Amino acid sequence: MKLKVCGMKFTENIEAIASLQPDYLGFIFYDKSARFISSEIPNLPKTIKKVGVFVNASEETVVTTVLEHNLQAVQLHGKESVDYCKSIKKQLPDIEIIKVFSVKDEFNFDVLAPFESVCDFFLFDTKGKLPGGNGYTFNWNILENYPSTKPYFLSGGLGISELENISEFSKSKASKYCYAIDVNSKFETQPGLKDFELVKQFKQQFAVNTIQHTMSYNINDKGYYGEFGGAYIPEMLYPNVEELRQNYLKIMAEPSFQEEFNQLLKDYVGRPSPLYFAKRLSEKYNTKIYLKREDLNHTGAHKINNTVGQILMAKRLGKKRIIAETGAGQHGVATATVCALMGLECIVYMGEIDIARQAPNVARMKMLGATVIPALSGSRTLKDATNEAIRDWINNPVNTHYIIGSVVGPHPYPDMVARFQSVVSQEIEWQLQEKEGRTKPDHVIACVGGGSNAAGAFYQYLDETDVNLIAVEAAGLGVNSGESAATSALGKEGIIHGSKTLLMQTDDGQITEPYSISAGLDYPGVGPMHANLFATGRAEFISITDDEAMNAGMELCKLEGIIPAIESSHALAVFKDRKFKPEDVIVLNLSGRGDKDLQNYIDYFKI
Amino acid sequence: MNRINKKLQEDKKLLSIYFTAGYPSLNDTVSIIEDLEKNGVDMIEIGLPFSDPLADGPTIQKSSSQALKNGMTTAKLFEQLKDIRKTVSIPLVIMGYFNPMLQYGVDAFCKKCQEIGIDGLIIPDLPVNEYKAHYKETFEKYGLINVFLITPQTSNERIAFIDNMSNGFIYMVSSASVTGSQSGFGDEQTEYFKRISDMNLNTPQIIGFGINNAETFKQATTYTKGAIIGSAFIKYITENGIDNLGAFTSKIKS
Ligand SMILES: Cc1ncc(COP(=O)(O)O)c(C=O)c1O
Repeated sequence: MKLKVCGMKFTENIEAIASLQPDYLGFIFYDKSARFISSEIPNLPKTIKKVGVFVNASEETVVTTVLEHNLQAVQLHGKESVDYCKSIKKQLPDIEIIKVFSVKDEFNFDVLAPFESVCDFFLFDTKGKLPGGNGYTFNWNILENYPSTKPYFLSGGLGISELENISEFSKSKASKYCYAIDVNSKFETQPGLKDFELVKQFKQQFAVNTIQHTMSYNINDKGYYGEFGGAYIPEMLYPNVEELRQNYLKIMAEPSFQEEFNQLLKDYVGRPSPLYFAKRLSEKYNTKIYLKREDLNHTGAHKINNTVGQILMAKRLGKKRIIAETGAGQHGVATATVCALMGLECIVYMGEIDIARQAPNVARMKMLGATVIPALSGSRTLKDATNEAIRDWINNPVNTHYIIGSVVGPHPYPDMVARFQSVVSQEIEWQLQEKEGRTKPDHVIACVGGGSNAAGAFYQYLDETDVNLIAVEAAGLGVNSGESAATSALGKEGIIHGSKTLLMQTDDGQITEPYSISAGLDYPGVGPMHANLFATGRAEFISITDDEAMNAGMELCKLEGIIPAIESSHALAVFKDRKFKPEDVIVLNLSGRGDKDLQNYIDYFKI
Repeated sequence: MNRINKKLQEDKKLLSIYFTAGYPSLNDTVSIIEDLEKNGVDMIEIGLPFSDPLADGPTIQKSSSQALKNGMTTAKLFEQLKDIRKTVSIPLVIMGYFNPMLQYGVDAFCKKCQEIGIDGLIIPDLPVNEYKAHYKETFEKYGLINVFLITPQTSNERIAFIDNMSNGFIYMVSSASVTGSQSGFGDEQTEYFKRISDMNLNTPQIIGFGINNAETFKQATTYTKGAIIGSAFIKYITENGIDNLGAFTSKIKS
């Protein structure tokens, strides 16, 4: 948020406060005010915008004052009309127009609409005896109902003692469009004279307190999501990972890449996947549920979005040999599929135990021409298959690309995979616009193994904090049963597969074995994006047991005629205990279909 | 002066041995270290076992999981080593993956190393940039040398950076591979050894990965200060036990 210091009057004081580099300095050209500026404004750094404050002045006065003092903005504090603003805008097209509205305990937001097109900002001030500078705050909660997207200034009685409230406010929904904070009388030793030390102290604290607001939940330029991410890899992997890091954004931005990627998503994967209004499910839970049908993709899950992207990446990097890890075999099949499509050699590492559990997918991979190598080390499941794939990459540092199956691994993998999966929420935006006349749902729900389908469904909404994100983890036999994969609940910060993130481990730092009925959620870590969403509280994390998931999966079969993957069934199970409002619009990412899980369903329900 | 630096000044090719702490049996650690010193080994890498050793081949993987099964932990290892400096004077390095150190607390871990008399650390999955940004000061506070790896694929520019960041020796990985997967060095390796030698780095190099007998030891040390043997030694104690380590070391040095 930006900072405006208003009611500046005395030359030396103006220069002193300007040295603190506020974003705006305000000068009052209303001669009834105790802060009326009668002298010239000294030269100020260009980074500070000078704002002239007027109360029912004539248009001519405003225009000449702006030109005379070289102002960059005008703040209209009286009963200026829409036409008045329009006319000022016309005469001074480069000037920012800030229209002030005084607020007490309530405010009729309808009055804003006609001003939308004729001013640049709104400013909300406390209604009092004076037009501004009354020295007390109004009830900011009413801004929760702010109907506009026009950025606004928050004003009225703000001082050091309000810092904490401002900080709270900056994290709330109501502050979404709050552009700047406007301070004045609380910093004065006499009208128009600001206390330098006080402003300095406020500005420093203000920057710290509101940083949260401007923080993005997406990756930063160092490869971190907050504290999580990075590339904790042995030097042997550095050349490969570095080559990818330096090229992935460039390659993805190439028009020819975009074209080929989109073409394949459309004609080969079958995108866009429908956004389906689940009427009977919605009725049952008395809310509005849309299913994003990733289960209808070629190969039956969202995984193919990523493998299509990565195979094109690998080709452009000149790689001839593809390796992958797989748990349930969904990612392995999706990788084998695109390798067949592109005629590249494909080696899939799969835990020995998973090979036995997932025979149909092993057969699919073989039919598609892939070599499936059993991971014999450790617990012989997904974590170990990933270890083996990484070792293969160490041993083949030049001609091989490793297609990771989720938003895990060293930077840039989590970001690259999230970008390839982001097509999911890009589609949700326009599909929801068509169906509901809005691009944003109230809630997005997705299951989280490593986190790729959730990353795709959340992507466009990461920084839209009025969209609630719900990440669903597998609790296995129960979070505290010792047989669980609920990483956020059980995990601690640490390093797994090259990334600093949350993972399940012993006190001694040994990675532990997770358990879930769903092989796709059976991973002891979670991608760094999700670790950060958890740590910051941006997303709500819910864990679902095997039993809850299986029953929710069966319920979807009966209510909607859709057999979901057991991973997706975890997301569906959220509705049983988590209540939503009838008017809530919810999008649930149905990440995959249940064909691969048939045997599991048969065994579980004794069908 | 750190024991590692002192050792590097000696006018000889150094033989360094890696073993996994807690393997074959939980309490073999001290006796293996003492015997190796008695048999003329110049430096020892004590492997702190990890559940998911990404850079290691099957031999070291197996020894690590066995050691963990035997009950080895970070605290246990420190406990075993607490009097090691009463009997052993050659440089001792702990080699392990970063996560167990992170959980112990990097500061606490380094402090403990200093108390015991550990001279340095090799942490394959703590890259030089992260080390520089977050941990360098801690290591230095406790007088620990951190050892970085280079491989045949490492660019000259990066080698120069690593050389600059190093204050002990550079661990030269002999070829693009995990541990224990080599058999003999070909022209390609010899060329790589020579190329690095010709760079005249400030930091001495010691070669590891794929050294398993007198011949490969000689090849590796023709261009460098020394060599590290890991998997071959683990194989030896797996097959022969720990009672006659001299039979292993004398073969290398012959
Ligand atoms: C259908 C389905 N959903 C979800 C997952 C979990 O992976 P992620 O969390 O990366 O979406 C898998 C993984 O195999 C899957 O097959």
